Amino acid sequence: MRDILKMMVVLTLIGAASGMALSLIHSATKAPIEYQTIKFVKEPAVKKVLTDYDNNPIADRKKIVVGEDERGKPIEVIIFPAKKTGEIFAVALEGKGKGFAGLIGVMVGVSKDGKLLDIGITSHSETPGVGSKVAESSYTERFKGLKAEAGVKVDAISGATYSSKGVVSAVNQAIGYVNKFGKEIF
Amino acid sequence: MSIKDEFTKGLWKTIAPFRLVLGLCPTLAVTTTGLNGFGMGMATTFVLVFSNLFVSLLRKFIPAQVRIASFIVIIASFVVIVELVMQAWFYQLFKILGIFIPLIVVNCIILGRAEAFASKNNPIMSLADGLGIGLGFTISLFVLGSIRELLGSGTLLDIPVMWSSFEPFAFMLKPPGAFVALGILLALMNLISQRQARKGGAR
Repeated sequence: MRDILKMMVVLTLIGAASGMALSLIHSATKAPIEYQTIKFVKEPAVKKVLTDYDNNPIADRKKIVVGEDERGKPIEVIIFPAKKTGEIFAVALEGKGKGFAGLIGVMVGVSKDGKLLDIGITSHSETPGVGSKVAESSYTERFKGLKAEAGVKVDAISGATYSSKGVVSAVNQAIGYVNKFGKEIF
Repeated sequence: MSIKDEFTKGLWKTIAPFRLVLGLCPTLAVTTTGLNGFGMGMATTFVLVFSNLFVSLLRKFIPAQVRIASFIVIIASFVVIVELVMQAWFYQLFKILGIFIPLIVVNCIILGRAEAFASKNNPIMSLADGLGIGLGFTISLFVLGSIRELLGSGTLLDIPVMWSSFEPFAFMLKPPGAFVALGILLALMNLISQRQARKGGAR
């Protein structure tokens, strides 16, 4: 009996101590990690989908709240605006859609007059060589110039239907945000 | 054994991937360049040193029945710390090493040293042991990575060093190339040890 009690106490203490240490480290590294993902993941995609701007979309980024998750926490989306002579003429923002293996993140460029500029895949874990084709420009170019309205449709890549659908639903999510929160964004 | 012996044994006598043939998963998987191998080795060393230290400090406090569970919690905590720190300050390396960072948890070298050494020795000895084994692991990965990088892409530490008509063997960067390079290194090490043993016998 005493042995069992001792085991429980020791394991609980070790678990609690490591949990505490990890939560401290987590909060200390949160800001730098966010900065790194913006710099190495989002920045290349933003630069791909926006063109002809004279500001710095990364530095001018802002967050908007688009809803709440199931625990009541606000869901934030980062908006990267492209400006010319001080006026926003297009924005880039990320949408997410369920692909064949997990979520696909897609950076979507939308102009003020409601056109899709370009898209860039920021993150995916699709099958290499099959589903990963959605990240290639031969596919992403199919979105260029489409109207930014709900329910965008693009021909899927044969053999990668789920991945293509994931990208399309991510694009539609981003378009949905733009149409719903257009006043805050532009 | 003195502290110095505990430290140096990990560098040659029991150098983990070559002598004990342990921890091969990261050894073979991430050593496509010397720097990748070095980064992986340093991450493992960090976890090994601190898990050894904490296991040794807590060795009288942890009941024998739950020791493995406790070791794993300690090791896993340091692995998460490494993961977060790398993600925050060495993002590119973090992306290359990817899944192999969380997999340090199941690296048998680390649990092996906690169980076989740190749980029976004082903290200073355990630190020396962890540092020695960790550095030995880092050197192994760095050497293996450099060989594969040199033959596979013709560079060393990302600097081109081969003559201009050199045609890189892409094979060396693929998994079979890792086995071939490891095999050649093992053979070389055995050759050197045999020579040393013969010299010792003749004396």
